[in-house]
Amino acid sequence: MDDGTSEYYFTASMDTGKSLYSLLKAIQFQECAVFSAMSEGLKLTVEEGKCVQASAYIPADNFTEYHVRTDVDVMFKISIAVLTECLNIFGASEESSLKMYYRSEGSPLLLVLQPQSVHNVMTDCEISTQTANSVLELKDEDASEVAKLVLKATAFLGLLADLERSCDIIELNLSPDHPNVSIITYGMQDRSCIDVPKSADMVESFSCDQPVTLKYQLPHIRLIMKALAISSKVVLRCSSNGILLLQLKLEKEDQRQMFSEFYILPLLDD
Amino acid sequence: MKFRAVMIDTGPMREFSNIVTTISKLSKECVMRLSDDKLYFIVSEDNSGPTPPVLWCEIPQDMFFSEYQMIGIDEDHKDIYLGVVSANLARSLMTLKSAKCLKIKLTKKQCPCLTLEIEMPSSTSQQTRQVTHDIPVIVVPRKLWSEFQEPRVPQPDISIELPTLKQLRTTVDRMRTMSPEIVIRASSEGRLTLQIKTSMAKVSTRFKDLRVEAFEGPIDHSDSETESQTNEDMSNVCYCRVDAKKFSIFLSADQISHNQTMCSIVHKKLIILCLQTEENVKLQFFITGIVY
Repeated sequence: MDDGTSEYYFTASMDTGKSLYSLLKAIQFQECAVFSAMSEGLKLTVEEGKCVQASAYIPADNFTEYHVRTDVDVMFKISIAVLTECLNIFGASEESSLKMYYRSEGSPLLLVLQPQSVHNVMTDCEISTQTANSVLELKDEDASEVAKLVLKATAFLGLLADLERSCDIIELNLSPDHPNVSIITYGMQDRSCIDVPKSADMVESFSCDQPVTLKYQLPHIRLIMKALAISSKVVLRCSSNGILLLQLKLEKEDQRQMFSEFYILPLLDD
Repeated sequence: MKFRAVMIDTGPMREFSNIVTTISKLSKECVMRLSDDKLYFIVSEDNSGPTPPVLWCEIPQDMFFSEYQMIGIDEDHKDIYLGVVSANLARSLMTLKSAKCLKIKLTKKQCPCLTLEIEMPSSTSQQTRQVTHDIPVIVVPRKLWSEFQEPRVPQPDISIELPTLKQLRTTVDRMRTMSPEIVIRASSEGRLTLQIKTSMAKVSTRFKDLRVEAFEGPIDHSDSETESQTNEDMSNVCYCRVDAKKFSIFLSADQISHNQTMCSIVHKKLIILCLQTEENVKLQFFITGIVY
């Protein structure tokens, strides 16, 4: 690379920033995100309290050009709200190419956007960056996986939308016996239950050896709804330490893949 | 005082409705001035004083009305000024887009009213329906007419063609979520830049190759708050900081089909956005600059 950017910590370009925009929008439930560029790809992570961690992962092959220095950590905190607004500066109906530059620690993240259909206009953004706080490490190698479900995203989204909004707690009962999945919500005065047997249309695969009961905050579970809306499938993994991991793949027109991931911490029994 | 007019062409009727809708977004109240050859809509700020109005719109009556009769107060005061709630007018005119004919007249009911008689086609038969709206108006007394005079503005430093309003509005609306103020900068080489600066981000959208209609440079930047762009000759650049929301409202005028939009800037003080349509309607918006 001889265009003078080789000393940059990170540079990347993309023909269209649209899928990146919708992916980031799906995890934008907090003002700030941790932006980290690794040689395999780009990852943005958002945390709610210490209870939910959502991340968007864009493998490097999504970019037409992707370069990150390996001798330094490229990691900083950035306003994801501002980042998404900038990516969408020409509106949702316009495909625009995107270039990103990050010179060195403390420098702003530079974005250059140019719409594909109009040639006399461009936007450049300087988004300030801050030192990143450490991100929770929720992947526990010692905890085993106790259940794994693959569900159709739209159907699961519909199910979550049906749940009473005022409820705080959602209980997930998974068992090898019928009904394999039962979702119970507790409200002020009511308890409602939805059973989903593994033969149901929305269940693509189900594995669970031991019955397990897990409780989560319903508002936390609801945070994944935007991501569900842009995905076709969702993988739910329950680990023996109670942490729920949801993995989603963004529906895209091209062959390249982008992912989002949500770790949700369980409620402890009182 | 007398006023009676008829509109029968669909194009102008749609246009008229769009214009009034745009005005209603801008302000609760507006003044409708009727004169021999033109109909005006004027929106001024409450504490107007010496500042120009917010909006000045001229509609040539002969392009819109097939009949147009009016008699003013007397020989010396040939015009009629009516204060009207713009939302009322906009709502009543909404159906105009599919109407066959509009009759508009000044009537005296319990209070002075603009009576709109709209003839609507029926989807099932040859017969038509007639819908009548009475919109209360206030007849503006002569001594207040001077407040609604044609705006006298300083000579703009630059007049530059605007890119399509739709595109501009999308960008301005994104910027608006990040900052309440936008700096508009125009250069004599045909570049227009919209910029916001906050503690989080600096975002600039640049348009180039725009037609410059007039330039009265060089611009004096000696008192500027060091907008130093060392590699650029600033003497051909002028700018104005404006309220992002007001700017965005003007851009919603893109629903009025227009053939030309110009942006004139009085350096740091004022921007004038002017939109002209096929039918020679001229809409001018005045946004005063924010100076610290």
